[in-house]
Amino acid sequence: MLIRYILKRILLMVPTLLVTSALIFTVINLPEGDYFETLAAEMQAQGEKADMSRIEFLKKEYGFDKPPVERYVYWVAGLLQGDMGYSFEYQRPVREIVGDRLLLTMMVSFATIIFTWIVAFPIGIYSATHQYSWGDYGLTFLGLVGLAIPHFLLALVFMYFANIWFGTSIGGLVDPAYLNQPMSWAKLRSVLEHLWIPVIIIGAGGTAGMIRALRANLLDELQKQYYVTARAKGLPPGKALRKYPLRLSLNFFISDIGDILPSIVSGAEVVAIVLSLQTTGPLLIRALQSQDMYLAGSFLMFLSFLTVIGVLISDIALAILDPRIRLQGAATK
Amino acid sequence: MTQRRPHPTRRTALLLGSAALAGAGLPRFAQAAPFSGTAIDSPFFVDRVASGALPPVAARLPSTPRIIDLEALGRQSGRHGGNIRMLMGDQRDIRMMTLYGYTRLMVYDLNLDLVPDVLESCDVEEGRIFTLRLRQGHRWSDGSPFTSEDFRYWWEDVANNKRLSPGGPPQALFSANELPIFEVLSETEIRYSWKTPNPVFLPALAGAQPTYIFMPSGYLKQFHERHAPKQELAQRVKENRVRDWGALHERLSRMYRPENPKLPTLEPWRNTTALPAEQFVFERNPFFHRIDGQGRQLPYADQVTLTIGTSSLVPAKAAAGEADLQARYIRFDNYTFLKEASKRMNFDVKLWRRAEGAYFALMPNLNAIDPVWRDLNRDVRYRRAISVAINRKDVNKVIFFGLAKESGNTALPESPLYDPKFVSLWTQHDPALANRLLDEIGLAKRDDDGIRLLSDGRRLEFTIETAGENTEETDILDLLKQDFLDVGIKIYPRSSQRDVFRRRIVAGQTVMSAWAGMDNALVTSDMEPDALAPTSSAQFQWPRWGQFIETSGREGERPALPEVVELVRLYEQWRVSSTRDERRAVWLKMLAINADELFTIGVINSTLQPIVASKDLRNVPDAGLYSFEPGAFIGRYMPDTFWFDRPKADQQESKA
Amino acid sequence: MKATTLSHLPPDGAPLPHEVSTAPFEPYATEAMTPEQERVYLASQWQLMWWKFRKHRLAVISAVVIFTIYAMAAFAEFLAPYHYTTRNTDFIRAPSQSIHLFHEGQFVGPFVYPYAMRLNMENLKREYEIDTTRPEKLRFFCKGDGYSFWGLIPGNRHLVCPPEGGTFFFLGSDRLGRDMLSRILYGGRISLSIGLLGVSVSFVLGVIIGGIAGYYGGRVDLVIQRIIEIVQSLPHIPLWLALASILPPSWSPLLVYFGITVILGLMDWTGLARSVRSKLLALREEDYVVAAQLMGAKPRRIIALHLVPGFMSHLIASATITIPRTILGETALSFLGLGLRPPITSWGVMLNEAQNINVVALYPWLLYPVVPVVVIILAFNFLGDGLRDAADPYR
Repeated sequence: MLIRYILKRILLMVPTLLVTSALIFTVINLPEGDYFETLAAEMQAQGEKADMSRIEFLKKEYGFDKPPVERYVYWVAGLLQGDMGYSFEYQRPVREIVGDRLLLTMMVSFATIIFTWIVAFPIGIYSATHQYSWGDYGLTFLGLVGLAIPHFLLALVFMYFANIWFGTSIGGLVDPAYLNQPMSWAKLRSVLEHLWIPVIIIGAGGTAGMIRALRANLLDELQKQYYVTARAKGLPPGKALRKYPLRLSLNFFISDIGDILPSIVSGAEVVAIVLSLQTTGPLLIRALQSQDMYLAGSFLMFLSFLTVIGVLISDIALAILDPRIRLQGAATK
Repeated sequence: MTQRRPHPTRRTALLLGSAALAGAGLPRFAQAAPFSGTAIDSPFFVDRVASGALPPVAARLPSTPRIIDLEALGRQSGRHGGNIRMLMGDQRDIRMMTLYGYTRLMVYDLNLDLVPDVLESCDVEEGRIFTLRLRQGHRWSDGSPFTSEDFRYWWEDVANNKRLSPGGPPQALFSANELPIFEVLSETEIRYSWKTPNPVFLPALAGAQPTYIFMPSGYLKQFHERHAPKQELAQRVKENRVRDWGALHERLSRMYRPENPKLPTLEPWRNTTALPAEQFVFERNPFFHRIDGQGRQLPYADQVTLTIGTSSLVPAKAAAGEADLQARYIRFDNYTFLKEASKRMNFDVKLWRRAEGAYFALMPNLNAIDPVWRDLNRDVRYRRAISVAINRKDVNKVIFFGLAKESGNTALPESPLYDPKFVSLWTQHDPALANRLLDEIGLAKRDDDGIRLLSDGRRLEFTIETAGENTEETDILDLLKQDFLDVGIKIYPRSSQRDVFRRRIVAGQTVMSAWAGMDNALVTSDMEPDALAPTSSAQFQWPRWGQFIETSGREGERPALPEVVELVRLYEQWRVSSTRDERRAVWLKMLAINADELFTIGVINSTLQPIVASKDLRNVPDAGLYSFEPGAFIGRYMPDTFWFDRPKADQQESKA
Repeated sequence: MKATTLSHLPPDGAPLPHEVSTAPFEPYATEAMTPEQERVYLASQWQLMWWKFRKHRLAVISAVVIFTIYAMAAFAEFLAPYHYTTRNTDFIRAPSQSIHLFHEGQFVGPFVYPYAMRLNMENLKREYEIDTTRPEKLRFFCKGDGYSFWGLIPGNRHLVCPPEGGTFFFLGSDRLGRDMLSRILYGGRISLSIGLLGVSVSFVLGVIIGGIAGYYGGRVDLVIQRIIEIVQSLPHIPLWLALASILPPSWSPLLVYFGITVILGLMDWTGLARSVRSKLLALREEDYVVAAQLMGAKPRRIIALHLVPGFMSHLIASATITIPRTILGETALSFLGLGLRPPITSWGVMLNEAQNINVVALYPWLLYPVVPVVVIILAFNFLGDGLRDAADPYR
């Protein structure tokens, strides 16, 4: 039964991904014009002259004279062979460009996730066990403030004052003096000095969501009979909580994998732009703005793929943990 | 579509003209004399010279280096050492180093004269035969000789190679649609001869974005089908994961954007960092051909580092002292912030002037699709009414602290073609006159809101589009909005993205747009007056007419206004004119027509550009003109002569 | 509810009194209810929700705050001392003028001290000095900048106006000398309605699509589930970006505003659709649905009349939580230079203009629009929490 379920889910991924790819391709090609026009306009703003015959040449070189369907097929065929195409702007293969930034992005993302869990966990449990207390309100409030302030502004203000008060260099993840140096303790310290700003700002938003989810799930469990029974038979509250409801309420962490996977590799775009982090987020935004279509398209596709994989993993994990899920949706009308 | 031709300059054209006049005269650009003193090397290379990795400095310089007499320029001779830190927004910005280095075959000097730089000299006969002479012993940054072979390689194996240049050689190499005869006279002499004069040739070589007519053949031959062994080349193509040798060659040979650290260069600093990077380190070129009066090989600074980051953070980073020399991404409205920071930090903020004809100009689209608007835009009375309705003083006061100049889109006072008449013609604030002119056109009828009505009953209201480059544009438009309302015109400012903006104008969907005026307003009568006549589809006042001229009538529309036809005629006359007086007359006529007809309505020019420079950095001028062309932003002011006046210990540290 | 049903029992541990009823046995009589119980049992679902909701004190406060802010935006023309486009170029980037009541120990009534502006040509900064010798009284219910209320009724009455010949920039002025308070009030109109409209779009989409999936199940459900998965798998910001850039540039600001709203709404329907679907899947097996089917009701009727009302409260609660997301989405889009652009004034546009190191260092009052954004987002979140808790009858 379980194997059949997994097989079925994997088979379902194929049409999902196909449709996604078509959708992404369409969305990216929707805006009028193409990268080369953007380039020409940008050069003009600078005072430089774009060589139109060269632009025509490039357009042909990259197959822009062909109909969209043909380009789509070409792109998908490339993707299937692991070829993510070529970035016009960087004049390099997409895989290399994304690869260059992946490590840094993942570092920021993991730090953020850890921060989120460390903060959200105790608050969530406290809020659930002390529902409607001022502590509950206060902590939820704190969690929400991070969500409520637009991140781009928060990032700028943090960065400015970190520079004024602590002398942290502005933007980036390391002081420029260490940029081309091998890893050392001093460099690591410099990284940590910079890392806390994006981690807190990006983490703040996620924390609020996690506190809320944890609180809601725990509240659900706390009202169920088994917990009441456990308490009734004299289990101390802490142990009773740890033993069952907490474990069950953690299910949502598993179902969250689908969201977490892509966010690890894309990072928070807007904050990264403001803080001048060389992560993949700004790369993607910039590619979309300049219509660098293979970079934007292939990276988006990569993210979608990760989501689908994430959802698959979480579904399988849940199915193993909870047999009811396997049977859900089987009934037909 | 063809490339817009670069501007020729006064001296060249002067030479061409006088040559034609004098008949036999043989004008010559020359300044080099063999250098007899002792060349001084930077301590930067001590180890390398000692180990034999580099020859001593005397052997690295050409026999006739270019001597920069700093005292004559009012600057100080300096010391070697230090690292100039700069901030950039994008890794494509490393081309700024090609601008700041400003090493060209010919360059504009501080007086806007065209002088040889890489070339030792250049002879021009009859304005059509150009003999270029290289410096004996000049070498590329990798030590390989820079000779006429590099010119031959470019001409025969690149410019005339179907794979590498499918469109053929660049426009500056064409005169009357014909290519020159190319001759190699010796190892250091090359000659280009056309049948007709080619006034754009030398200025193209001196351009901020120059036409390169040479390439490092020693390095590039290994990637060229004609020179590299087939198997090896195939192997290299495979290693680099490119389609064919042509793509490989193209990718590795970009001289304007020095992305390939292995590509030899003639610039003062050479890139040592491969893409991608957050920081690019440019190191002094050991074979650079300029020296100061004492014989110190330039550049003074051993390194330049470009740190890449979000461009909007550049002012903040500069204020935190993270840049030693910064103009890019710093705007006038950052001045107060930077100035306050400079009191705490080790930098100064200098105010240079921007050299556009207009920092902000309105461009009525003479090729708008809507016939009513098109006819209105083509009515000179309407354009004059728009212009005199603008309260330029207010704009200057509110946005530029009254420090800019209220002016039409015309030559700046620093240009020999400057005429105060062109500045003030139709730029006074006179709503009464505007009302009278509008009434005269037949727009006297108004609706209940006091908005004038068009001939077909629509309100005289339209959108002015901007490319949304900065908030100043929207602010100026917001100020203009009230001015226009006072004469019964309603405008709606709207900003869009650059490429959308451009496309809409060319398609005629835009009635009026806002953009900068002439790119280069430091004009001389010998520069090409292409900005004053329809010559390109990128001219927002007459995109379709420009396209017509640009494509020799294949696309676009034939200019329809008599004044514009006259401008085209004058422009063509300039292209074949023989004396400088005649050219000056053409220029003045064209400037006069533009000032009177207001095809572009300039609002403000000579706006200020803050330059952040370390307090220790000497020779950075306190005042300067900042423009892409002529002079490559700060390139004309020769950053290779900027030096750090710091105790030794600090320099070591900053090198780290 | 546990507390109410057990209330007639004696306290824990106390002996239960032995009781034998002497009344005649009446098999059809039901247990009499206390008035309190009766109230609970007879209460409609909405009433139950309200009682529950009241317990979430923060949610109640939030509801009041939200209502106030919306009302303020609705009456922006009257409340704002200036029109939001009124320029005062003699007072560019003026700091905020606070309201005073006492001048030199004497009660004067609400007044402000005037500024004196000095151009600092060294720094190129406009510096303002407060002249505390001359109190200028504010005027109330006075005539000021003309406006047309909601674009319909012309008027010029304002709650408060600057003193005669003076200025009143309570929250300072911006780089064209426009009053920040007035701009925030007018900007709120756009930002707040974008939240509501965006949510309506996603609400309608979510209910319809989720309803179809949940009711029909099977293959339809499968396809819709995949669609939801696909939409969810696309990262939001890039998609916003791509969609916002296809809005035709010839659209008027109003149309662009609607376009942005729809785009923001298009992203958020999936969550709602999912919860509608799962609720329906659970409910459709209930007896009353089977009964309706047997009586020949059409699916549309069953969904609309019998199923959806069953969890409407729940849906509203989830929708409330997505409103702040939309408001924040608008600010993010403005930040990326897409979406709304000046001269349209929204909080996102204002914040985007303030997102600049000059502002943080020199003109911090231009950051004020962040305050209403934070307040409204917090309020909506608490309200949503309260509603959700209240909508769930089992808690």
